[in-house]
Amino acid sequence: MIVGAALLLGATIVVLGACLLLILGVIAVRARRHSRSKRDEMLLSPLRPPLITVASGEDDDGSAAEELTWATGVSRTVLDRNIADLLTKIRGAPAEQLVRVLEVHGAVDAAVGDLSSRSSVKRARGAQLLGLARAAHTVPLLVDALRDESVEVRNSAAYALGLIGDASAAGPILAAIGVPDRGLPAATAAEALQSMGVGISEVLREGLKDENARTRMVAAHLSGERSFTRGLPELRHLLAHDPDVTVRETCAVAIGRLGRGEDADVLARHTGATEPLPLRRACVTAIGELGEPGAVPTLAGLLGDPDPRLAELAAGALITMGAEGRDALAGHEDDAAVRSARLVADLQKSAA
Amino acid sequence: MSWDAFIEGLRSFVVWVMDVSSVPILVYFVLINTSLLTLIVLAYLEFRAQQRRRASALSWQGAGLAPGVSLLVPAYNEEAGIVTAVKSFLTLRYPRHEVVVIDDGSTDATFARLEEAFDLVPVPRELPREIPVRARVLGVFVPRDGRTRLVVVRKENSGKTEALNLGINAASEPLVAMLDGDSILEPDGLLHVTRPFADDPTRMVATGGAIRPVNGSRVLSGRIVRVEMPQTWLPRIQLVEYLRAFLLGRTGWSRLGGLILISGAFGLFRRDVVVEVGGLDPGTIGEDFELVMRIHKRLRDEGRDYRIEFVPEPVSWTEVPVTARVLRNQRRRWQRGLWETLWAYRAMLFRPRYGRIGWVALPYYWLFELIAPLLELLGIIIVPLGLLLGVVDVPFAVLFLVLAYGYAVLVTLAAMVVDEWAFHKHDRWRAIWQTVASSVLENFGYRQATVWWRLEGMWASLRRKKHVWGVMTRTGFDEDPA
Repeated sequence: MIVGAALLLGATIVVLGACLLLILGVIAVRARRHSRSKRDEMLLSPLRPPLITVASGEDDDGSAAEELTWATGVSRTVLDRNIADLLTKIRGAPAEQLVRVLEVHGAVDAAVGDLSSRSSVKRARGAQLLGLARAAHTVPLLVDALRDESVEVRNSAAYALGLIGDASAAGPILAAIGVPDRGLPAATAAEALQSMGVGISEVLREGLKDENARTRMVAAHLSGERSFTRGLPELRHLLAHDPDVTVRETCAVAIGRLGRGEDADVLARHTGATEPLPLRRACVTAIGELGEPGAVPTLAGLLGDPDPRLAELAAGALITMGAEGRDALAGHEDDAAVRSARLVADLQKSAA
Repeated sequence: MSWDAFIEGLRSFVVWVMDVSSVPILVYFVLINTSLLTLIVLAYLEFRAQQRRRASALSWQGAGLAPGVSLLVPAYNEEAGIVTAVKSFLTLRYPRHEVVVIDDGSTDATFARLEEAFDLVPVPRELPREIPVRARVLGVFVPRDGRTRLVVVRKENSGKTEALNLGINAASEPLVAMLDGDSILEPDGLLHVTRPFADDPTRMVATGGAIRPVNGSRVLSGRIVRVEMPQTWLPRIQLVEYLRAFLLGRTGWSRLGGLILISGAFGLFRRDVVVEVGGLDPGTIGEDFELVMRIHKRLRDEGRDYRIEFVPEPVSWTEVPVTARVLRNQRRRWQRGLWETLWAYRAMLFRPRYGRIGWVALPYYWLFELIAPLLELLGIIIVPLGLLLGVVDVPFAVLFLVLAYGYAVLVTLAAMVVDEWAFHKHDRWRAIWQTVASSVLENFGYRQATVWWRLEGMWASLRRKKHVWGVMTRTGFDEDPA
């Protein structure tokens, strides 16, 4: 026998034992969740009425908030967790009252300490709480956390900075996107920057010159969303020269939103057959958004394009440009693209 | 040759086979299960990171960078559920999405139901031909209300792959999601599965969503209202398989950077990339697998920086076969698709240019997905034969089987612990016992039958037998009365 019977028996016992442990593991995981949920419910039940009073903005004399500050031990931990959840949903005076409860409990100070914890879970949750508490004095710490080794901590720090809304953090957030192997996810960065004021326009303009494509894309997207015209020259340049076609498409959309009359020509240059098809389509849509009458000949020239969607987009754009645009459709009435665009426009008009 | 001589010869042969193969098979069995266990550990690490996100306040509502999505729904004779499915797709929580239904020449009232429900009107639209489609387009329709983002394309019957290619041509958003007509999506499913595109918009080219069996669950208006275990053992065992191989296995591969298979039941792709590689190949059976391989090959050949990820959050629910006949068809098709695609892309094996795909993922699929049924079959034949001929020590053989299948059960249980900890989809306690029982029962009959069916699939391919898709008999969902 190549494999000894004793060895086989030993291995079998180990495997079956491990199976039993795993079954117990499943039961333990579920039982722990159930018991925790019951315990939390029990601990929270006496605190629920004052919590609801504060959260609904009915605690005029501050007595309910005062009552919440008396919580101690595990009850306090459970309460603080629930307050943090509520802070994601409520704003204004009730939120400020709840933050004060957290401060009295020492939760905000503890969150500052958690930022330097060895546990990435604690660091991430600490950063989130500081954001939810709008702890503006912790912005430098949160900016440091944007370079954390854990992506969840970086995400949480950016989220917190977005909630605090301090525009001074915009530069570090944008710069964090392109850090090699430790980059900040673009979606988180965009959401955080979205909630900052007009003070970030110069930062976005600089971001358009960044060497990282994701950074340029976020900067281009937000420039368009927030209508920051300061970055227009850079957007035009990227539309023409960026090596990444996704960035170019994003620039086309942004120019369509905030561009000027002369930008119709800039966009028209990229509707030619030598350009990638998604970019051509994005440019035609953007020209339509601009609504510049000077672009009518360009759009009319695209009605016979071999790509039926591009032709339909051009027809749709002309329809939205008023009499001059509709006149340009003359002679193309039988084109499928024009008929389709007209029908869709009519349906949308009757719906409105 | 006398009977005794024949038996003696057979006995010597079996002894020789066992001598030669026992250690390699044992090593193989340990390796295959250990590799699965490794994938489950990797999946656990991934889930742990996500738990931090889930525990946090970071709920993404798709603002900002969320790319638009075209949901492609190929439909062939789906009159019973198409309207409910489309309505549920249209009401998904997502900032910008459209539904493109491709009626693949249905002979029932599929189109009539859609026409009536959404008040469709024909639109004289010519569809782009970015991906060549042979079948004739019979018409394009949109709802009269001018608001509902639905496009219905009618075409001659030419199969699901061509229907999807036509859907890609008709899609107007930058991402395309390929769905089964009977798939049920989680209300936040699109938000989950598009998140990697928003996080890494210039590099992400495809994501796969986790698929779970819906059998037994309570469904209302195309939405899951209560997750339950399937009523019978066959789908219960498949649930265990989905958990182990699809959910945790693919999460592990994704973390390893070697994801090569995105299920056709739910996959999300950058439209321009799919067009660039020529769309789905109608000539292949495993068109979902083949597409992902083609994308890998093309982008790696061009030295492009790209990513393909799996999203373990529950995204899509699908009905799994409840009869052996349908299951057999499915497994034959899967194995045939696997074999044909692996063979077509054999040149990628062990080539430095293809990185982890060529060095880890493809060798794994060859060794543990493709060859596994052959070796298991060998065991299924030799062990009983050896017992019959008296050349196998019975206690030893039993112990060996207990060890081998025990390890397989251990892998499933590990997957179960991770799933319970991360997702805990089933509330009832009895679901635990049913899952444990399924992981054990899987080894008695089910496993052996699927081995045989998979080999049938490979054999059919080798004989170049024409593939017939067969009909997936749906039992329908347990819809609550209105």
